[in-house]
Amino acid sequence: MIRQLFTLIWNRKKSNFLMITEIFFSFIVLFGVLSLAFYYLNNYQKPLGYKYDKVWVMNMRWNQEKSEEIKTIQRRLKQQLNSNPEVESITLMSSNIPYTANMMGTGFDYNNRTVQTNVFDIDKDFARVMQLKLTDGRWFNDQDLNSKYTTIVIDQAMRAEVFKNEQVIGKIIPGKSGEDTGIKIVGVIEAFRQNGEYSATAPGFFKLRDVEMDSVHMKGSLSAMLIRIKPGVASGFEEKLMKQASRIAQGWTLEIKTMPEMRTSYNKVALIPLIIFSIVCGFLIINVALGLFGVLWYNISRRISEIGLRRAIGAASGQIYRQFIGEVLVLATFGLLIGLVVALQFPLLQVFGVQTGVYVAAMVGAVIIIYLLAAACAAYPSRQAAIIPPATALHEE
Amino acid sequence: MNNFSLNPLGATTALVADAPHAPDYVIKLTDIEKVYQTKTIETVALHNINIAIRKGEFVSIMGPSGCGKSTLLNIMGLLDEPNSGTVEIDGAPVKSYSDKTLARLRNQKIGFVFQSYHLINDLSVTDNVELPLLYRNISGSERRKRALAALEKVGLSARSRHYPNQLSGGQRQRVAIARALAGQPEIILADEPTGNLDSVMGNEIMDILLRLNTEEQTTIVMVTHDELMAKKTERLIRLFDGSQVS
Repeated sequence: MIRQLFTLIWNRKKSNFLMITEIFFSFIVLFGVLSLAFYYLNNYQKPLGYKYDKVWVMNMRWNQEKSEEIKTIQRRLKQQLNSNPEVESITLMSSNIPYTANMMGTGFDYNNRTVQTNVFDIDKDFARVMQLKLTDGRWFNDQDLNSKYTTIVIDQAMRAEVFKNEQVIGKIIPGKSGEDTGIKIVGVIEAFRQNGEYSATAPGFFKLRDVEMDSVHMKGSLSAMLIRIKPGVASGFEEKLMKQASRIAQGWTLEIKTMPEMRTSYNKVALIPLIIFSIVCGFLIINVALGLFGVLWYNISRRISEIGLRRAIGAASGQIYRQFIGEVLVLATFGLLIGLVVALQFPLLQVFGVQTGVYVAAMVGAVIIIYLLAAACAAYPSRQAAIIPPATALHEE
Repeated sequence: MNNFSLNPLGATTALVADAPHAPDYVIKLTDIEKVYQTKTIETVALHNINIAIRKGEFVSIMGPSGCGKSTLLNIMGLLDEPNSGTVEIDGAPVKSYSDKTLARLRNQKIGFVFQSYHLINDLSVTDNVELPLLYRNISGSERRKRALAALEKVGLSARSRHYPNQLSGGQRQRVAIARALAGQPEIILADEPTGNLDSVMGNEIMDILLRLNTEEQTTIVMVTHDELMAKKTERLIRLFDGSQVS
């Protein structure tokens, strides 16, 4: 029976071409949407590497002050704000704070290979404020403040990408010039996904730049202050913080936001492509469903005498119903086979660098949805075909 | 108890141990009434029909257009139900049978030949002939074997790979007969099988039906308008305005 269904659909390929094409395009769009959705889901399940709740972010914009003056003000700011009983800990970092689009990157050279990595300039309190999870080695300490080397802590993604299975703790990567004495790795953290839960894990490392450092070891300034507040502190504390900060950093532009707020708005933006794509896909699917329904209805009304013949030669009502459902599924199979040939190119050619598993899950999901859609659209017309009395059907020409 | 069951090979068996009539009547219609009713009109298609057809008989049904010949054939072929009266196949009344059982009975006992052939143009001749066998548990190779054997019986082996629209009217009707034969039915119901054909082709078709009847003892009931064709059969039933006149 299945062989004959395939033969029948294949022999009617000209009249079924439009429907097969529609199914093909629906599959491709659905595959795209599901790939994106599974990509986000896959990223979401990976460790973020830090805790954003109870963290407030103070962005600082100074005027014409010199680097030393800025450092002095920031040291005082840190001390003053930290003295509040509501504050648990405070840290300073570069502008590429989590849930912002600010990026700082570098090409990390190792073994004649350059890997693009994120760089985060932070002080030694950063791990406590962001509650980073150390997986190997140690976090920065006072010895690192005036170390001969630039000490760094890397994340697991960088370790895997740059060093593979090598022992990294204590590793010194020599500098390229006389002034640059080199880099020393002191620790490895689980992850630090600056761009939030929906972003891919990217290699990155932390470079110590503490206000306690002398000017030889620290050039430039850190523009963000991250404040971890204690549980149960009301939002009214923000005003108190702001007043204290404004008194110390006179003339600076200060702005406080909570990291959960930043996360919400950043993630909304991150999800926009998926939402837009899903809406377009939804409309396409509705269009295809209506098209399928209409074409099936028309096809069945054209084939009433065939239905009569099949009933006469021994098909029960249920078999007619299953035959028409089967035909639509076979039709969907033709569209899906073409679609799968196209979709398979994505994991094979490693398009967009997305994991193969994401593409496979999207393909399986899209195939199931298309089959369900086709079966649902065929159900009512097929039922109508099945209940036509055989004697009536036989007299339709 | 009149019951209908399948043996393990899929062949039909009528359990007629306590049936009131001996099973030498393959089809028996008793007091058949058929009325088509719309909101405004009531049309009597068949009235008080009593027909019994013996195994191996070749019966023709004649009558003017609209006298109920096709309705009668549909009732005999279990494609339509009478409003009252009894239809018996192999001595067993079919009234209580489910749609599934009726379908199985049609598939295994009855072969249909229609005036307009009812071939599926998108399937090859062999695939068309195989159609009744698709509703049985038969392997693909066995289906093909039986279909080719049926085509040989009607002299169309050479056209097995053709499609219906590549054949003449007579050849198409022969394919339709082969399709009816593929299921090896005991009964063939033919609704004006020569109606669309010229006299030469009509005679060819009639010869095939006669040969099936004499050589394989297939019971044939044929509706026809053609007096000459009817005269070739064993018995003629005449209908007029839904009633049996002879």
